[in-house]
Amino acid sequence: PACIENKSLSYGAEFRRFSVDRVKPGKFEEFSRLIMHIHRIANMELMIGYADVHGDLLPINNDDNFCKAVSMAHPLLRIFIQRQEEVDYTSFGTNTLTRRKKAVVTMRNDVNRKRPHIRIGMPQDFRPVSSIIDVDILPESHRRVRLYRHGSDKPLGFYIRDGTSVRVTPHGLEKVPGIFISRMVPGGLAEGTGLLAVNDEVLEVNGIEVSGKSLDQVTDMMIANSHNLIVTVKPVNQRNNVVRSSRISGSSGQSSDSGGSTGYPSLSVGGGGGALSAGAGGVALESDEEADIVIESSVKRPSRRSNASVASAASTASPAPPSPPSRPPSVVSTASFHSQLSLNGSTNHQHHHHHLSYQLHRDLNLQNGPQTSNPALRHSNGSLHKILSSLRTDPRHSLALPRGGVEEDGTVITL
Amino acid sequence: MSLSPFFHASLPPSLSLPLSPSTCLSLPLPEHVSLSPFLHVSLSLPLPPRVSLSPPSSTCLSLLGVSLSQTVEHGFPHQPSALGYSPSLQLLAIGTRSGAIKLYGAPGVEFMGLHDENAVVTRVHFLPFQLELVTLLDDNSLHMWTLRAHKGVSELLEIGRFTLTGPPGAPPSVTRVTSVLAHSSGELLLLGTEGGHVFVVEVPGFRELEERNISLDQVANSVPEDYIGRRNLEHVETLQENPVDPNQVVIGYGRGLMVVWDLEKHQAVQHIPATQQLESTWWTEDGGHILSSHSDGSYCRWTVGGQSSKDEEEKSDIPYGHFPCKAISKIVQLPTEEGPPFLLFSGGMPRASYGDRHCISVIHGKTHVALDFTSRIIDYFVIRDGPLHTGDPGALVVLVEEELVVIDLQTEGWPVIQTPYLVPLHSSAITCSHHVSAIPLKLWERLLAAGQLQITHYSPKPWPITGGQNLGQDPPQRDLLLTGHEDGTVRFWDASGVCLYPMYKLSTAGVFHTDADPNDNMNQCSEGEWPPFRKVGCFDPYSDDPRLGVQKIHLCKYSGYLTVAGTAGQILVLELNDEAAEQTVEAKIVDLLQGQEGFRWKGHTRLDVREEPVLFPPGFQPFALVQCQPPAVVTALTLHSEWKMVAFGTSHGFGLYDYQQKNSVLVKCTLNPSDQLAMEGPLSRVKSIKKSLRQSFRRIRRSRVSANTKHSSNAELAEMELAPVQRKIEARSSEDSFTGLVRTLYFADTFLSDSSHNSASLWAGTNGGSVFAYMIRMPSVEHRADEPITAHPAKEIQLMHRAPVVAIVVLDGHGSPLPEPLEVAHDLARSPDMQASHQLLVVSEEQFKIFTLPKVSAKMKLKLTALDGSRVRRVGVAWFGSSRTADAGESGLVVLTNQGDLNVVSLPSVKMQVQHPCIRREDVSGIASCVFTKHGQGFYLISPSEFERFSLSARNVVEPRSLVEVPANATAASKRRAAPDGASADNGYTLRLSVMEHALLNDEREYRTVRRNVLDDVDEPPHSVMSCPHPAAVCDTTALSYAPIFMCS
Repeated sequence: PACIENKSLSYGAEFRRFSVDRVKPGKFEEFSRLIMHIHRIANMELMIGYADVHGDLLPINNDDNFCKAVSMAHPLLRIFIQRQEEVDYTSFGTNTLTRRKKAVVTMRNDVNRKRPHIRIGMPQDFRPVSSIIDVDILPESHRRVRLYRHGSDKPLGFYIRDGTSVRVTPHGLEKVPGIFISRMVPGGLAEGTGLLAVNDEVLEVNGIEVSGKSLDQVTDMMIANSHNLIVTVKPVNQRNNVVRSSRISGSSGQSSDSGGSTGYPSLSVGGGGGALSAGAGGVALESDEEADIVIESSVKRPSRRSNASVASAASTASPAPPSPPSRPPSVVSTASFHSQLSLNGSTNHQHHHHHLSYQLHRDLNLQNGPQTSNPALRHSNGSLHKILSSLRTDPRHSLALPRGGVEEDGTVITL
Repeated sequence: MSLSPFFHASLPPSLSLPLSPSTCLSLPLPEHVSLSPFLHVSLSLPLPPRVSLSPPSSTCLSLLGVSLSQTVEHGFPHQPSALGYSPSLQLLAIGTRSGAIKLYGAPGVEFMGLHDENAVVTRVHFLPFQLELVTLLDDNSLHMWTLRAHKGVSELLEIGRFTLTGPPGAPPSVTRVTSVLAHSSGELLLLGTEGGHVFVVEVPGFRELEERNISLDQVANSVPEDYIGRRNLEHVETLQENPVDPNQVVIGYGRGLMVVWDLEKHQAVQHIPATQQLESTWWTEDGGHILSSHSDGSYCRWTVGGQSSKDEEEKSDIPYGHFPCKAISKIVQLPTEEGPPFLLFSGGMPRASYGDRHCISVIHGKTHVALDFTSRIIDYFVIRDGPLHTGDPGALVVLVEEELVVIDLQTEGWPVIQTPYLVPLHSSAITCSHHVSAIPLKLWERLLAAGQLQITHYSPKPWPITGGQNLGQDPPQRDLLLTGHEDGTVRFWDASGVCLYPMYKLSTAGVFHTDADPNDNMNQCSEGEWPPFRKVGCFDPYSDDPRLGVQKIHLCKYSGYLTVAGTAGQILVLELNDEAAEQTVEAKIVDLLQGQEGFRWKGHTRLDVREEPVLFPPGFQPFALVQCQPPAVVTALTLHSEWKMVAFGTSHGFGLYDYQQKNSVLVKCTLNPSDQLAMEGPLSRVKSIKKSLRQSFRRIRRSRVSANTKHSSNAELAEMELAPVQRKIEARSSEDSFTGLVRTLYFADTFLSDSSHNSASLWAGTNGGSVFAYMIRMPSVEHRADEPITAHPAKEIQLMHRAPVVAIVVLDGHGSPLPEPLEVAHDLARSPDMQASHQLLVVSEEQFKIFTLPKVSAKMKLKLTALDGSRVRRVGVAWFGSSRTADAGESGLVVLTNQGDLNVVSLPSVKMQVQHPCIRREDVSGIASCVFTKHGQGFYLISPSEFERFSLSARNVVEPRSLVEVPANATAASKRRAAPDGASADNGYTLRLSVMEHALLNDEREYRTVRRNVLDDVDEPPHSVMSCPHPAAVCDTTALSYAPIFMCS
């Protein structure tokens, strides 16, 4: 059984600890009912989320991500419960729980204000996988693509090669060596984005020009930056270039629009102090990359260490830490090693799911009419939200959340 | 608006990686080492200096004079192709296939030059009684080099080049040089060509003397009618001067005809009508006879100067006759004062039975020995006794492809004289190296004593090549370089000075049963064997058992404990003992898999340990042995002599061994259960030959394209087959292959649990970016021998970028690296600061990261790969002393990247200080072989047989400084050389940027010391210096000749 800690943030600091069988977590429906029972919530549409090892807040709304969540328990799994209509969906995703140092810039949602808002759906199943950035400063023939890798979700999945490119120089056209994308791995992140293609010329990696660098150097640079890879390419197909609206409307609106979706506004859920230490005790040093995982074991008490390693999944009795500084000693043991492996196993599953739903979402059209008063969109911005929310209407996914009449608001429930 | 699956966004300013302030690093020149234009080009790889990514920090490291100089090459030149010798200068010259020319005299006297052409040096000839030498390259160009004295130190300079030009329309063969004679006058060079002509050129200016040329027609017309080869004499094979009459030369043509030609009268004096294809000629010293050797293995003796025009073939012989023999490529005959002459010839072996031997036969009276060398003979010469080098033959110097062998011809049995330089480092292939600086005198002497006992079979005679004078100062400290070899030996080299001198050789093979019979190589020629072979030379690339190969070495210079780890997971702990001892070495088998199931080790088996006592000679004697299971190659090793523990790691895990109690303390399996490749073993013999051939070709191709990427796997190779030059872009995952391979191990006395109690700890870093820390609990000193040591896991760090961890260092409260074990106890290091908090430095291939201790949290980092795409290959901690004051200095990290760049990273601020290109990025083995010293120097292999030495430190530079002088027995030629140096030299070196030389030019301190010495020593007025001292006294009085130089300058 995995120990699950509950936090119903929206209702105030309200903790519950209970255990769930790690091996057979059961169905999401049952879990949802269990939560509602434990917290004595009734007739309310809930959004259930959890903190994963990377400190990201991720939703639980179907069997798959519920299984995944349980398998992530290490040994505690932190669950966040919010009322459906209060959920800010932009709060899901990378670094949402750990991004604290970075100043949050709340974006004016210019676009939303100007145009009638398009209600597409809820984004809870998705994290962004890619974006085109810096459109306002790059030549139109270039494209700067950012690929987001979340944990070991999905392979980046592309190959590069040496080649020659033709440059215009003062002396006329000149052939110079260049680096090109040579192959896409089917099902990989790069292919899935549709932003990179075979024979695109790679010009920069994370802001550093690749000219003069060997294929191996560029390979190493890309791998070293793989947690946050920004590739500037000259697409071989120049017909799909981004047409800059900023040329007409001025660049300020454009950049604020895009700026918002580059970084996610951090989760402003209240009382998240304890949540920071959730997951695997990752130390968040810098927000721009994944933090190293440090496991410190208490050497002073070897006996306790051995206990812990056996009961790592069953230690339900120990009280929850009130604040991050006094984190309980984490545990290093072979048992925890194995549990991480099972986690990896389920990753594939999850990954598949993401991929599937992703495809689905690409096929979607604007089937939602304009919607003006969705509280969930109050703090959201830009295309990120629109895209992510598009999936909300997909019945297969909305099934995940049982719909019920939500009437009560702000009730504090105590055990 | 279209629904696209991505977002349009702009990069926030914080993420746009700034490269704009790529500040140019202007290095302040230290006063000791200089980057004079001359020295700068003396780098064997004149790469442009690169700009550092970050500006120099405020630390004073850059003020301490960090600049790169490549100072000297140790070892044997790779692929030698020509040999020359100057009896008057007593200098030896070796040309190589890569166009290098190296001169050697007395130990420490070394010069090196490199031809621009990068072509094979086919001939090297010193001009008799001159400081000049001529080289011929295989592109048919001739080059004139000279040893020019500049500020008291000689340097090798190229002063001219020349290519023969034939008449217009003539085929190139007309001017293709096939033989060279440097005439004894020192003014003429005779060049025989493929077309059969002999061109006469005045040297050193290379002026063609057309009227003196000897054309083929002139010769052919005078050839007797009955000579069968008359129609086509072929090329000029040999040119030889009459030792008693400089006006006579013998021209030997390929077809066999020899013509004695008078240079004055410009006519043929005599024809010698040999009919066999000619290989070489030798004019005996009395001028009375010519010896000729031929392609059928015969040699003939002809009488010269007989009145009759018809010359008798006095004697003809095929020494190893009856059956067809190979050619005798060179023949030499030298008289002795009393007794029969020495006859030496190379080759001539019976083709069928011994055609593959590389032999030189020496015949003296009744003694006849066929010296059987280890590789192809390039050339040989004989050094003669006497002040004018005209006496009895003293030593035979033979250059073979892989070594230089010198044989004492005057001591009974003709023993080998041990060479003080040009030692074949690769007599068995080098598999690893380890450097230890500042060896205590005690250990040094014991090592020397142990080494002395090993060289009993060498000749007692001193080294016969004594040219030049070594002006280098005595090395400031005693340094040891240890090389591990494929055959299980560890060689100890004196690396303190310019000569890498062999001190001691340790063999680890004796501990194990090997297939080879130890007496295999011992069998000398049995009685009556013909030819009478005798094996000479030590080059022996064939390993009895590849499992014996030495992979890691760690020596504690204070305690004399040594640990050596090998290919089959064996770890030996050895102790220095001055007496021979017979003992059994007990093996402790350590299971690194720790019960991990589902694996099958497909590699080699463990080595068989001898169970009976083994007699170990004085020197390092093994007393403890650990054998890893599975017996994979040991990838990390460290020894703590104070705690008496050894830590070792393989691709499966690591272990800690207490060598006092001979007990295993800790075993940790780091293997990723899904990593099948780690199980197969790198030396897996299961693979088919076809497959391995295919892979090795692919590997060659890939290494040609670029430097290797670390994570090569079979899967990647399979992908290479589809598209050979593409690279996969994929983040590393925990499931990659060999993530569990242990890359580094480190002992530290530091704070693991809280900041008030320090304790012993072991740190391990893996290929997958993991760091494990164990706290070691040691019993009190009095119970050290009986109470067990325990180790408890304390910390585990997983670097998220998952790059291999290549080094771990703990920094003390001052930010300095912790001292080595016993260093403080011996008063040789400041004790570490245990008051302020310690820091942990983890160096991965991609980043340098500082963490706090005891609670591990990241504090600072320096990204390398993410910014410029280079990766850390080798890293060392070095002390950079100031060249001004003795105590000033600071520690820094010396880093070699896979791009071949040397970087210095400051500590503890991890800032990039200096970046120098050092090794070509394609030279993967050179980069992999690099070792750093503790004082900012380093060594790397520039070929399988040569170490290049470089220095980043201002204070520690080892390089040759020597002076060579005009020989004294000056003939008329020496008058011509009046103004050897001075102002002209200054112009010379700006013009000749390609020239390599080792001397320091503007080392002012050296210059002053030399001058002071000179002024003290010189009693005579300076002008007397121009008359040359007596040759026998050269070594004592050469200081005299500095005087005019200083007067010029």
